[in-house]
Amino acid sequence: MNEWMIKKDNVKGLCIKASKQWETYLPLKSIGGDTHFIKLDGSNSEFLDDKLNLEYESLVVPPKFILFPQLESLFRFEGEKIIETVEPVAGKLLFGLRACDVKALNFIDDFFKRNFEDIYYLNRSRDKLLVIVGCKHLLENCFCTSAKTGPFLENGFDLQLVDVGDKYVVEVGSGKGEEFVDTYRDFFTEASKSDLERSKTAKCDAEQAISLKLDFEKAIKRFCEDKVPQQLYERIAQRCIYCGGCLYVCPTCTCFNVFDEPPFLLSKTGTGANLGGRYRNWDACVFEGYTREASGHNPRSEKWIRTSRRYEHKLKYDYLTTGMSGCVGCGRCLSSCPVNIGISQVIEEVAKI
Amino acid sequence: MKNEYIPHPAVIESIQTESFDTRTFKLVFEDKTLAESFNYKPGQFVQVSLLGVGEAPISITSSPSDRGFVELTIRAAGKLTRAIHQVKQGDRIYIRGPYGNSFPVDEVAGKDLYFIAGGIGLPPLRSVIKSVFDRRGDFGKIKILYGAKTPNELCFKEEIKVWKQIDNTEVLLTVDEPDDRWQGNIGVVTKLWDKMDLAVPNGTDMVLPNGVAYVCGPPIMIKFVIEKLLTSGFKDEDIYITLERYMKCGIGKCGHCNIADMFVCIDGPVFTYDHLKKFPDKEGAMT
Repeated sequence: MNEWMIKKDNVKGLCIKASKQWETYLPLKSIGGDTHFIKLDGSNSEFLDDKLNLEYESLVVPPKFILFPQLESLFRFEGEKIIETVEPVAGKLLFGLRACDVKALNFIDDFFKRNFEDIYYLNRSRDKLLVIVGCKHLLENCFCTSAKTGPFLENGFDLQLVDVGDKYVVEVGSGKGEEFVDTYRDFFTEASKSDLERSKTAKCDAEQAISLKLDFEKAIKRFCEDKVPQQLYERIAQRCIYCGGCLYVCPTCTCFNVFDEPPFLLSKTGTGANLGGRYRNWDACVFEGYTREASGHNPRSEKWIRTSRRYEHKLKYDYLTTGMSGCVGCGRCLSSCPVNIGISQVIEEVAKI
Repeated sequence: MKNEYIPHPAVIESIQTESFDTRTFKLVFEDKTLAESFNYKPGQFVQVSLLGVGEAPISITSSPSDRGFVELTIRAAGKLTRAIHQVKQGDRIYIRGPYGNSFPVDEVAGKDLYFIAGGIGLPPLRSVIKSVFDRRGDFGKIKILYGAKTPNELCFKEEIKVWKQIDNTEVLLTVDEPDDRWQGNIGVVTKLWDKMDLAVPNGTDMVLPNGVAYVCGPPIMIKFVIEKLLTSGFKDEDIYITLERYMKCGIGKCGHCNIADMFVCIDGPVFTYDHLKKFPDKEGAMT
């Protein structure tokens, strides 16, 4: 496959043009300085110059929310009539993803396909184009080089952009990516040999910039051998406030709760007293009520056991089931934790066992 | 792609009161094709819901040979099950499934079968008990040990009388707290062990049972029953236990019922003891 390049000045135009065909999501700076993936539409495209931020450090909320929203309708009902709310398949362009987040999207794609297929997720995910813009910043909490999830990938993406100054070198990772470049050919030029050289150097530099190095493989091995002592989890349990924040912002967490909205709540909004719905929203395994049965019996009532589950799911069971760890090294759990606990610290400690 | 989350309306044909907090609901799917084609195996469960209230997993208590209807025995324990106890004959209830694995039936032909249940643990076993009685001749002796807190809380009281009449079948009942009229056994279900012609623990003439055991009940009961079964010479892989877990989806997605690398909803709810004992203690499989 050819390698291409795109001038940074051209990215905005490309995204606006592509947004006519694709539901386009871009990293936009929002009030307060955080960057979020936001759908490009008429209301924000004119501010793109100010807001587009492909050099963001980390998205506070991982891109999973585009395919697996924090709250979504499973169906509505009017009286006893069920109205399906599955979204139709629509092409989604996710432009400016980090490598670790793409790894995570690949991971949850597999999960929602496994055994029973989850139509809500898969309809959103089916026709998507993943465009990586590789990280080049030094971040203190993330460790993709240890988790082998970045800062650049070998596969799993459609296009991968490498920052080489005033332009990006564009690597094509799939037929779909190639088709995209073909369609918007005006925005791309063929990469020169020197571009490719610069790209190689940029990738090396980015890799060097990731300062947090962990013995990830050894930690996984220790988890799989059941070598992690109960005391380690108990120590975390003394500190953890069980807010679940780390799991909401985890790019591979997919647990959800299901609840019904009784009809009378919606009657106020006007459309008929009989309208209600069934929804799902993100849930977290560290919550006490996560495993509590109607009888009151709770197989995971103890805090340290929930903590053990939280880490062993990612670093043992995901690995044993899929061959890939459920941690992609994004560092969000540490960045978001009110009491300064991160999976990186756990990995570091377990690797020493 | 099938939308697994959409439930199907079923009409409540009749309601049988089992005890002060437990009822058996006989349901017929409104969709005639579904009513006729609905197949399941003993031990499987369905997701039951009332629109606007919620959804919960409930094991199927009827036998796969019961055609055209499904029976669910439901104890009023939580928000949804209490609401289900308010519904009347002719009302609608919503069902999706069946989900999960099942108890062995064909695989245990020729063997002696031991069913051991506590409280609301009999309904899931009734499905397999009925399946076995459908072809009584294919199996050896059948023993059903059933314990409840009070005489009132014993389910299927009338049906048990019929079971007692079946060839080579023994039903032993016990209650923890007898009332004035109770003349039967008193104590937890393991107290019935003396009345079974099983090997005496540490006895010199220990004969290994040619049987399999099906166990369902509260975690503490399961624990003590397994101990008894093992001392009586049952092999780990011949003890089948069905587990209860909080579940939201029934299809291995919501995460709530996970144990180690498994989901109780798709890899269970039926596990052999051989399987359960390999889970780390903290996974809570046996608690």
